[in-house]
Amino acid sequence: MINFELDEEQKLIRETVIGFARDEIRPYAREADEKGAVPASLLQRGWELGLVQGIIPEEYGGSGSEHSALTGAVIAEELAYGDLAIAMHLLAPRLLTVPLVEFASSALKRSLLPAFCGDVFEAGTAAVMEPRFDFDSSAPATVLRRDGDEYVVSGAKCYVPLGSQAKHIVVLAGLANGDGTVHPQAVVVARDTPGLRVGGREKSMGLKALETTSLELDACRVPRDHVLAAGDERAMRRLADLWHVGLGAMAVGVARAAYDYAREYAKERRAFGQAIAQKQAIAFMLAEMAMEVDAMRLLVWEAAWKLDRHEDATREAYLSKRYASDMVLRIADNALQVLGGHGYIRDHLVELFLRNARGFATLEGLAIA
Amino acid sequence: MKILATVKRVPDPETSIKVKPDGSGIVTDNVKWVINPFDEIAIEEALRIKEKVAGSEVVLVSIGGNAAPNDVKEQLRTGLAMGADGAILVVTDAALEPLVVARALAKLVETEKPDLVVMGKQAIDDDSNAAGQMLAELLGWPQATFASKVELSGDQKSATVIREVDGGLETLRFPLPGIVTADLRLNEPRYASLPGIMKARKKELKEIPIGDLEKAGLDVSGRTQLVKMEPPPKRQAGKLVESVDQLVELLHTEAKVI
Repeated sequence: MINFELDEEQKLIRETVIGFARDEIRPYAREADEKGAVPASLLQRGWELGLVQGIIPEEYGGSGSEHSALTGAVIAEELAYGDLAIAMHLLAPRLLTVPLVEFASSALKRSLLPAFCGDVFEAGTAAVMEPRFDFDSSAPATVLRRDGDEYVVSGAKCYVPLGSQAKHIVVLAGLANGDGTVHPQAVVVARDTPGLRVGGREKSMGLKALETTSLELDACRVPRDHVLAAGDERAMRRLADLWHVGLGAMAVGVARAAYDYAREYAKERRAFGQAIAQKQAIAFMLAEMAMEVDAMRLLVWEAAWKLDRHEDATREAYLSKRYASDMVLRIADNALQVLGGHGYIRDHLVELFLRNARGFATLEGLAIA
Repeated sequence: MKILATVKRVPDPETSIKVKPDGSGIVTDNVKWVINPFDEIAIEEALRIKEKVAGSEVVLVSIGGNAAPNDVKEQLRTGLAMGADGAILVVTDAALEPLVVARALAKLVETEKPDLVVMGKQAIDDDSNAAGQMLAELLGWPQATFASKVELSGDQKSATVIREVDGGLETLRFPLPGIVTADLRLNEPRYASLPGIMKARKKELKEIPIGDLEKAGLDVSGRTQLVKMEPPPKRQAGKLVESVDQLVELLHTEAKVI
């Protein structure tokens, strides 16, 4: 049976996050972008929503709700609707905790998860992208090799959210298959591991409020159980799917934010005696945006739904992320066009939505469902 | 101590309201419903007292439907997710006037025996600002309305309430049990957290058919009747005047304000 309705808890979570995004995040979107930082008080209030602790099992100090990709997608969309950079900052700890909850040994969970159940924001992150022209997340150039009872990681990473703050990082590396090819393997690396160097803060076109850094790993030695779901290719595909769904959901949020902004503007702005929303050239654009936002979300939700049923969702996750990254750019661009000259100046948020939207086509692993 | 906090479901203040063409009410299709913002403040205050006074319990009460389109359960669940311990819903689909609401609450107070009832000072839909005062009268309890600060004495036998009145602050003290109605600046309500939402699932939401209260003596007959609702007049475009004389003339003849 097909069902497009969220359950009662998901609806309540959505309502809460909608209110938080509207009242707490959006008012700071511009300031955070210009200052290049998320206000500490906002991080604290966001932490109190329990979006990170919620899915950590009770035995490790959390409140033990089952991790759901669909709930994660709903949260990601609504927070990103408020502001993408702030949403990514608030949810960055999940880049570490979700893979831990899903794939780590109980010993590793016990040693790392309780830190995320406290009263103050605790950073966590993942290092997925690599600074090379031929980066391929299904065959990372960062090398992972076994050495006795330990593993050794070497390589370079970029676009690591909160790279200088997170005490532990999920690093995507390639483990040799023996025939010259590699398969992707996630491994947890502590920041204070000898050989690990966090680079300076990257300067990007968008996401200015979010700290991202590069990362160098020079023969970093990690214990064997820090390799997540070793040898389980399906688990690693699932992890990639969760990243894609997370980013796809955030793209839906940014697209919807741009669409809503343009629509409200078009209803207010008058030209030649009527609101510009009444002009067909504008009305058609707005209608297309509305359609595409819904279409993006349906693709993302289908992938999330399959993940929650523990079915193979790689195809759906890829399609949804790709479609969402194309559409969010088009929608943000059209939204800017609806505002005309006003859209290009910083008095309105649409230029910020557009700068942020451009990232989706190139970024990987900055969000997780 | 036991605190009762009232919850009314109202249209989201962020949504635009349309009046039905026949003036019998508002169009409720596609309206988003929320907890009355003043009631949210009341719940928050109840929770803060609970956090200070060990062994306290916060019970939410609402009057309304238990099925679409009048379902109030979602708002009660939100309150439970904020941290309340339980909820009671008096089930009726009828729109009740403040006096009937106060009578029904009085019946619940008889059985629940709270030490304090915290309510929003008014609901933002009909702005009656009456149920709290009427409940105090029906129970013969002291009341402090428009509270901007609430403090309980160490022995929890009395409450000190600061009220924002015209041009200053008024401080009242009264013995418990009593009624407090919350003003805007009393506190900033918390968000329901994800763990709170999950816990709310297991909390009790008791439904009482209004008929049960009638059998216990509740009089549901009202005295007032909604005659007509109409939207405010559309704002007219401004007019530019040439001189002060013309302005005075128009204020006199057209706007009729001088």
